[in-house]
Amino acid sequence: MRLEKCWFCSSTVYPGHGIQYVRNDAKIFRFCRSKCHKNFKMKRNPRKVKWTKAYRRLHRKDMTQDSTFEFERKRNRPERYDRNVTENTLKAIKKIDKVRVDREARHIAKRLKPKKAQLQREAARELEQSISMVKAPGALLRDPSLTLPIKVKVSKPETVENRMEE
Amino acid sequence: MVQYNFKKITVVPTGKEFIDIILSRTQRRTPTQVHKGYAISRLRQFYMRKVKFTQQNFHEKLSTIIDDFPRLDDIHPFYGDLLHVLYNKDHYKLALGQINTARNLIGKIAKDYVRLLKYGDSLYRCKSLKVAALGRMCTVIKRVTPSLAYLEQIRQHMARLPSIDPNSRTVLICGYPNVGKSSFMNKITRAEVDVQPYAFTTKSLFVGHTDYKYLRYQVIDTPGILDRPFEDRNIIEMCSITALAHLRAAVLFFLDISGSCGYSIAQQAALFDSIKSLFMNKPLIIVCNKTDLQALEGLSEDDMKLVMEMKSEAMKTLVGQGGEATDGSNVLLTMSTLTEEGVIAVKNAACERLLDQRVEQKMKSKKLNDCLNRFHVAMPKPRDQKERPACIPQSVLEAKAKQAEVDAEKEKRKLERDLENENGGAGVYSASLKKRYILAHDEWKEDIIPEILDGHNVADFLDPDILMRLEELEREEGVLQGLEEDDDFEMDGAELTPEEQAALTEIRKKKSLLIQQHRIKKSTAESRPTVPRKFDKDKKFTSERMGRQLSSLGLDPSMAIDRARSKSRGRKRERSTDGVEFMDVDGDKQNKKMRLKSRSRSRSMSRPPGEVVPGEGFKDSAQKKKAIKIAKSSSKNRNKEARRGEADRVIPTLKPKHLFSGKRSTGKTDRR
Repeated sequence: MRLEKCWFCSSTVYPGHGIQYVRNDAKIFRFCRSKCHKNFKMKRNPRKVKWTKAYRRLHRKDMTQDSTFEFERKRNRPERYDRNVTENTLKAIKKIDKVRVDREARHIAKRLKPKKAQLQREAARELEQSISMVKAPGALLRDPSLTLPIKVKVSKPETVENRMEE
Repeated sequence: MVQYNFKKITVVPTGKEFIDIILSRTQRRTPTQVHKGYAISRLRQFYMRKVKFTQQNFHEKLSTIIDDFPRLDDIHPFYGDLLHVLYNKDHYKLALGQINTARNLIGKIAKDYVRLLKYGDSLYRCKSLKVAALGRMCTVIKRVTPSLAYLEQIRQHMARLPSIDPNSRTVLICGYPNVGKSSFMNKITRAEVDVQPYAFTTKSLFVGHTDYKYLRYQVIDTPGILDRPFEDRNIIEMCSITALAHLRAAVLFFLDISGSCGYSIAQQAALFDSIKSLFMNKPLIIVCNKTDLQALEGLSEDDMKLVMEMKSEAMKTLVGQGGEATDGSNVLLTMSTLTEEGVIAVKNAACERLLDQRVEQKMKSKKLNDCLNRFHVAMPKPRDQKERPACIPQSVLEAKAKQAEVDAEKEKRKLERDLENENGGAGVYSASLKKRYILAHDEWKEDIIPEILDGHNVADFLDPDILMRLEELEREEGVLQGLEEDDDFEMDGAELTPEEQAALTEIRKKKSLLIQQHRIKKSTAESRPTVPRKFDKDKKFTSERMGRQLSSLGLDPSMAIDRARSKSRGRKRERSTDGVEFMDVDGDKQNKKMRLKSRSRSRSMSRPPGEVVPGEGFKDSAQKKKAIKIAKSSSKNRNKEARRGEADRVIPTLKPKHLFSGKRSTGKTDRR
């Protein structure tokens, strides 16, 4: 039993899922669900469809090459069973996974970091410019900290006095 | 081969059929429509084509008939004679000749009429010419009808003739009727010839095949021959005579020594004498049949003498052929087809004799020398007395021995199947497939090998030094993480404090509010009238509001509110003191000015409810108030019960006629 990769979106196809299409030139296309299959039939290029891994790798949104990827290599010749090797491999898989996931997260954070810095700068500027909308310059002079003034209720003036009684 | 297979002759149709076939073909294959308005050359062409086409078809079909039927001079004389015997050579030739003339006649007719058609001047003329041509051709065929019928009969009979190859080994069986020729035939071949007690059961030649020394022999059964002068013989007898005459075969002359065929030995001997000329150059064997009824030794003297005479005749032929010294055992044989004794011996003897004769002839012919030159078997001559046996290398001998061992082992080793049967059979016991695994340690055999872990295939990761690589990876990771922390550290300075954050959210809220309001104003701008600020419906420009907004900004609004209020009209007393000082002459003007100045005039104010207006008829305010109360109480209950009141809308007629009647000029009146 093997877990395959979906040709379109590169997600894993578990046994009992998806469709395999064998073309006349004997190339096999595996799909994880009908969404990918239908996209394929529409002749869409996965490199142009935003949500696929192919697109993300191509546009450097996800990690492209890393030493963790080299651990996973499809072998065509089966290896003879060795208990110790298998044990070690199982332990290693878990650790490698952790490393890989961390690295991917870091990659994405790095990608998003410049934007964050920019956002912070913009926020600071906006604050500086428009603080007068919530705190009058007079109040600022008195109290330079940025705590906002508490809203005070102003009493109603007596209207009876204003009216002219005849 | 054409020689002996007449099955390939095409069917000869009858005269009428022939005409039908050809004419319908003409109709189908040539264009059918013609108009009198066409050009004359086109009309002529049309009809000429029809005539020519018909003639060609006749020619073709008649030619095939003539070619298919064999020419008696060209085929093997045996068949030639046979056909003559059966069908009369002359009649046959005549029939074919008639067909030939018919063919030529038709050709001539067609030629003539085509010549005439070239000068046809109207559609009608051309058409009648064509009709005449075709009619004459058909008449020719009609005249030939009996020949066609005769040829068809012949064809059918010829197809059923036995396919005898005159050149291969043949054994011929002849003798009086009912002597046992057909029974013998049935015994040695697979042919199932009729055997009946009456004479002339076999009416024509029958062929069977038998094997001897890996060679195929044809065995021909002939109808019985009676002792008659040659001219008196009927067709059936002539068949056998022809066969005897032309085929180079071994002849088995059958003799019924018991006389149960109805003819005595004397008669049979007489027959033998009369046809002995036909036995020239053929190996002859006298076969005494029906020995179960009468043994050869038990014959009377005269009969015995006759038999011996026949035998001596036969011997003569033998001497003529091979020149072998014989004892006559191969010439005179006894058998009984009923008890089957001697049958095989007879067959063997006949085949042997024939084979010898044929071999002799071949040896004498020139062709054999060419064959002989090609054979040569070389044998090495021994040069000394030393023994030189075949040499087999030692390894081969060992391998052979080992193989023998393995075979022996295979026979006595325990199979998986036996194991299965022991442990309960196919459904109960499932063979352990892991039994024969070759692993480093045997206790690993029963391990469940993991294939999938956490969405990965374990097989893709298998590597003996994976731990080493993993260590490297972790070291790398550690280094990377260190770098990461340094980067993160730099970034921390630019964060906003919670206060700043709160301020920012407020700013953004306010901004979005302004934007929303502006958008509403923009969208309703076209339909909303621009009204000056003093008519503000929503009371947006009140001093309280201003006060609230200013205080929310952190300023003290009291001074601003006062300023706003001071802009409005002061009190009457304040104002009036100024006015009295300057103008006390003009009382009216002053009042007017004051009236104009007073702000309260710009707004109409409603009267208080209990105010007495002169003209209504009330004494004082209390009275008015009571009256109002009474008036209200009358409608109070009605209102509470939500009943229809005076002010509620009333539909006087629910179904006014003008709305519910009348036709429409266009459309339906479903909806009203």
